[in-house]
Amino acid sequence: MTTPASIIEFNDVARSYKKDKPVLDGVTFSMQPGEVVALLGRNASGKTTLINLAMGMLFPHRGTVRVFGMSPIDEPVVVKSRIGYVSETQVLPPGSRISELIAFHRYLYKKWDIQLEKDLLRRFGLSNNDSRIKQLSKGQARQVALLCAVCHRPELLVLDEPAGGLDPAARREFLETSIQLLNSEGSAILFSSHHMGDVERLGGRALLLDAGKVRIDSDLDALRENSCLAVIPQYAVTNLSDIQKLDGCLGARSMTNDWHAIFRGTPVETRAKLLAAFNVEAQCVRIPLEELFVELVGGDRSAGAV
Amino acid sequence: MYLAINPADDLPIYRQIMRQIMDAIAGGRLQSGERLTSHRELSEQLVIAPLTVKKAYDELEALGYIESQRGRGTFVSARLPRITPAVRTAQLKVAAQALLSQAYLAGLEYSDVLRVIKDADRELTDGPVQPQRKAQ
Repeated sequence: MTTPASIIEFNDVARSYKKDKPVLDGVTFSMQPGEVVALLGRNASGKTTLINLAMGMLFPHRGTVRVFGMSPIDEPVVVKSRIGYVSETQVLPPGSRISELIAFHRYLYKKWDIQLEKDLLRRFGLSNNDSRIKQLSKGQARQVALLCAVCHRPELLVLDEPAGGLDPAARREFLETSIQLLNSEGSAILFSSHHMGDVERLGGRALLLDAGKVRIDSDLDALRENSCLAVIPQYAVTNLSDIQKLDGCLGARSMTNDWHAIFRGTPVETRAKLLAAFNVEAQCVRIPLEELFVELVGGDRSAGAV
Repeated sequence: MYLAINPADDLPIYRQIMRQIMDAIAGGRLQSGERLTSHRELSEQLVIAPLTVKKAYDELEALGYIESQRGRGTFVSARLPRITPAVRTAQLKVAAQALLSQAYLAGLEYSDVLRVIKDADRELTDGPVQPQRKAQ
């Protein structure tokens, strides 16, 4: 059952765009107030679909979606008034001036922090700039979108690949604003990103989607500290499935003459486990988040394959 | 206090913060009773989540290196935790063996290792080499 305390609650949610080809298939997770959740996964793994379901822009084919304890489809206005949303594909009205767009948002929301609006305009260097949206750079337009998303002090900030296509400096500014919001408001943040550095900076929990299912749902630091890569020579173990069946194996794939497997546990524990199971000395090391991500969702690179 | 974090490091960010603060205390750059940067300031300075800073500080406090005083801030402990000399020597020996084995495999001599240790000691006391800032 939905507890009113949860910010977001997905229960066995499925959604497809084509018949019998589910984009999300049985997704269950919840988010508490003030929590930061990073949505990870390859392109087409269902990240944007999950976000669109939470925003009430899509309805689930199976299961339930609750935001602030309500259905975002049935209560679109109430739910959206408590959310701030920025996405890479968001289209702002191109002919509108910055001031007009901000005025429109100010009118939409009951509470609007005019001081924050001024601070952000100054920070983004847009104080004396009243261009039309179509004249802005990609980075500036995204900053305007962020400003419109945060000045009503939302309880939940939803960022769908917010830094996509931005240069490193613009990405950092975007991150700084999000972190200040975390500091001052304790807003919950649900965001998807392909930049693992940004994911680590925002911290919190990682939700890894793979082929429409939640592959990993874990505290980011715990995942980093309590998992390792094992490199197992293929002559020692014939079948990949034997490795995948081992307790604590999060994923395994073929890499030229070795198997690469990610295990939950320290390198020492994992080495002992593999020695006991296959009588093989496997090399076990801790790896950065980016490598972990690639190992978990990257494709096979078997010997002989192109 | 200058801290640098690197998301591509194989340590999580909160561990990197812990390590750098412990290094600073060990090298005398942070003295007992000295005030640490607040959660909020450090979070905004390093552009990382406030909870990550809190986690690092909480762990350091649990280890006894720092103490937080309600409403006043966080300070380096007046009495730093000390472990018995025998345990410390044993721990150090393990680390020294790992260091020597790494050095010999890389073709270095014992004297090279000593020079590296001297350099490391200087850095611990003076702080890591900071990125050059342009003069105003």
